[in-house]
Amino acid sequence: MTNAFETIPMRVVAEEDLGKPDLPPEEPSLPPGEWLKKNLFSSVGNTILTILVGALLFWAFRGLLDFAFNNAERDWTSVAANMRLFLTFAYPVDQYVRVWVSLAILLSLGGFSFALTRNIGGITLRRIATWFFTTGALVLAATLLVKGPLERDADGVLIFNEENEAIRNAVVWADRSIWFIVAAALFAIAAAIWFGFGDRRRFIFIPTHYVLYAMFGAAVLSLFVVKYGHYGLREADGALVPVMEPDSLVARSTRIPWLVMWVVTGVAYFVGTLLRSRGWFKGLTGLSWLLAPPFIMWVILRDPSFDWAHVWSTDIPMFAAFAIGGGAILFWLSKPDLGEIGRIIAFGLGIVAFLSFLSGALGWMSMLQKARISFVLLAMFALVAHNFAGDRSARLRFVGAWIATIAIVHYFVTAINTPSTLQGIQSDTFLGGFLFTLFAAFVGLVVSFPLGAILALARTSKFPIFRILATTFIEVVRGIPFITVLFFFSIMLPLFLPEGMEVGEIAGVLIGLVLFSAAYMAENIRGGLQSIRRGQFEAADAIGLTPTQRTGLIVMPQALRVSIPPLVGQAISTYKETSLFAIIGIFDFLRIANNVIPNQSTPINFVGHKREGLLFVSLIYFIGSYAMSKYSQKLEKDLGVGTR
Amino acid sequence: MSISDATTAVNEELASRDDMIECVGVDKWYGDFQALKGVTATIKEREVVVVLGPSGSGKSTWIRCINRLEQHQGGQIIVDGVELTNDVRNIEKIRSEVGMVFQQFNLFPHLTVIDNVTLAPKWVRKMPKDEAEDKAMELLTQMGIPEQAQKFPGQLSGGQQQRVAIARALAMEPRVMLFDEPTSALDPEMIKEVLDVMKDLANSGMTMIVVTHEMGFAREVADRIIFMESGEIVEVGTPEHFFTNPTEDRTKLFLSQIL
Repeated sequence: MTNAFETIPMRVVAEEDLGKPDLPPEEPSLPPGEWLKKNLFSSVGNTILTILVGALLFWAFRGLLDFAFNNAERDWTSVAANMRLFLTFAYPVDQYVRVWVSLAILLSLGGFSFALTRNIGGITLRRIATWFFTTGALVLAATLLVKGPLERDADGVLIFNEENEAIRNAVVWADRSIWFIVAAALFAIAAAIWFGFGDRRRFIFIPTHYVLYAMFGAAVLSLFVVKYGHYGLREADGALVPVMEPDSLVARSTRIPWLVMWVVTGVAYFVGTLLRSRGWFKGLTGLSWLLAPPFIMWVILRDPSFDWAHVWSTDIPMFAAFAIGGGAILFWLSKPDLGEIGRIIAFGLGIVAFLSFLSGALGWMSMLQKARISFVLLAMFALVAHNFAGDRSARLRFVGAWIATIAIVHYFVTAINTPSTLQGIQSDTFLGGFLFTLFAAFVGLVVSFPLGAILALARTSKFPIFRILATTFIEVVRGIPFITVLFFFSIMLPLFLPEGMEVGEIAGVLIGLVLFSAAYMAENIRGGLQSIRRGQFEAADAIGLTPTQRTGLIVMPQALRVSIPPLVGQAISTYKETSLFAIIGIFDFLRIANNVIPNQSTPINFVGHKREGLLFVSLIYFIGSYAMSKYSQKLEKDLGVGTR
Repeated sequence: MSISDATTAVNEELASRDDMIECVGVDKWYGDFQALKGVTATIKEREVVVVLGPSGSGKSTWIRCINRLEQHQGGQIIVDGVELTNDVRNIEKIRSEVGMVFQQFNLFPHLTVIDNVTLAPKWVRKMPKDEAEDKAMELLTQMGIPEQAQKFPGQLSGGQQQRVAIARALAMEPRVMLFDEPTSALDPEMIKEVLDVMKDLANSGMTMIVVTHEMGFAREVADRIIFMESGEIVEVGTPEHFFTNPTEDRTKLFLSQIL
């Protein structure tokens, strides 16, 4: 796996298949002059409109283009030199291996999931050639347009003189040569595909997985060639000169780890293709996606320092008590012929759970928070126990699920309440920059999706208590602006929590994000649930499925399929809404561009350089949102939403 | 004279078989409206019963009570010796022994034909995947549509969909099949293909209760016809008795309207 392009098996269509009747004939492409005439200048009115809109566009973007490529005020060094700050903020450099491990986990799960989605389709070679050509043209244009940053004096004031101009050109030419080569290479590949394959190029589909993996590989390889953000201006012999800064070489310090990441992703995909026909693999991957966010956040990145004496004396016995005691109660509650008495006891457990929270809030009874959470979980399990009624093995599986849940919850609650081993950072501000944005969006989506599904089911449940709770929650959350929710969870949450329970600020706002996003997801999914006809429920009942199987196999898959477009819309919103964290003072991606870099005066003076950072941040947000949007279009097409 | 002899003969033959479904004084209300008024009937093993009656007479409600898609509020329903109560175990046991075919097919649109048929055997009977698929292909062949196995329901005609629905119900190896107006949503040219399949099923000795408006099918295939009106069973008899010499005035009125 040394070369990104070697690993692409092409599905070449045989020559005799070329005239296949199910593929439409290629539309003859017009020569450029004809195309312009047909599409832009077909009548007097159209010509005027074209000229007018063209002038308007040029006028609107003139300032932006000038700023990005030429303006003396702009200084892209402020972005390049601060790449580390942008990506990980203040996470200790000697602990970066934790960041890479986290990333490796996420990429492996991504590889598994890609392996599980077999019919993702392909991209024609013709299209890929067009991509190469367009990218090459963009690189060439940008390289020709760009000018280097202006030099500044010791106080950060820009210097305009001939000597300075020479430095400016030197800086640019140092990079230009490589970019010309890059553009030429892109053109060459485009031409090779275009002329090398002739008419066959539009019949050759390369699976989307391989294209994405090759793009990832190309980006990693570019770290070895292109010196991203490699220079800064540093004071030497009384003057500021562009110098290589070995300790700030983002490309050099990350290329080996990124290469490892690339290999890990490929291996995960390969392992996934081997295992995907096994029944358990899909479930395990889904469960791993759910458990990954808390595991990465509180175990890998934060590294809790467990007090083992306390663990053995308190945590383990408590877990055992809930696992065994709760397990016994649930085993009894899942007896098939229990009837009303089961409901009454489950309801009683709900009251116990509620009282335990109330007593904590009022300070009546000192009890570990974990016990209160466990009571709530036990009550929830008890309420659904009758759904899992069946023979002995079915009931034992239900009890097994309970013990696994309580083990995971106890582990995480203990980890969260344990101080971190990492020195020099506050325990709850160990994340920042794009790492935090990515993580917050990831947690927001992965956790709020199942929560939203549960809320949607609860809101359509036949039990009034679930319905009332879910409806109240959804309506309350949807009636509050997101920024209010964030302030609430970052500042006011501790006032509502029982004594002895602490939630760090980041954990608090993440909970806020999850709850907020879940309420909207729930409404999207409920829309899907309502579109399921009554006959589907009856048919599922009539063939003997249990209510749980009916929901999981018949109702939910159909409801989710209907709600894909609004769900992806919600996912994109959640991703972008993480930027609101900047307002409440968390050092997310946007805040670094907006508040940190413009106030930076050492080692390089970047005071006031806000616009470069904002452009960079916008670009990254756009790439993420656009990718999600594209993926949803593809998903919609594959699932036939709207055509069926 | 000869008709009542024939009826008696049929009744005697039926009496020697075991009871498959026994309904005693079944009552069902929708709010203040009483949909079933003390329905009492016994269906024997391997018997084919056609339920006739004007719309709104409670035919569908009755057979939907038999696999508890509707809950009856009075009386007893005993299926194959198991009484329908609130006990979840009994309901699941009965549902897995009673197959049902709906007017609107109610296939699962997100699953292929073969997945529709194998779903219940795999998840309810815990049958291995290969075995379930072999059996499903056998059933689809029996229904005359083995080549449709990998398609989605939306790609099939109404008649094909209804045959898939019959295969899906049969995949659970039920002891009783309930048909709730299986041909009412079909185009005329597709009715025959479904009725033919149902005839084959009746000849193979399946116990069947069929709610339908197909008089030809009732006359040809039914062992007995039950006529319902306003939530009550008005008349029970062999097709011969029912179509040529009904005793009740309400039956005569119904027949005069449809024949």
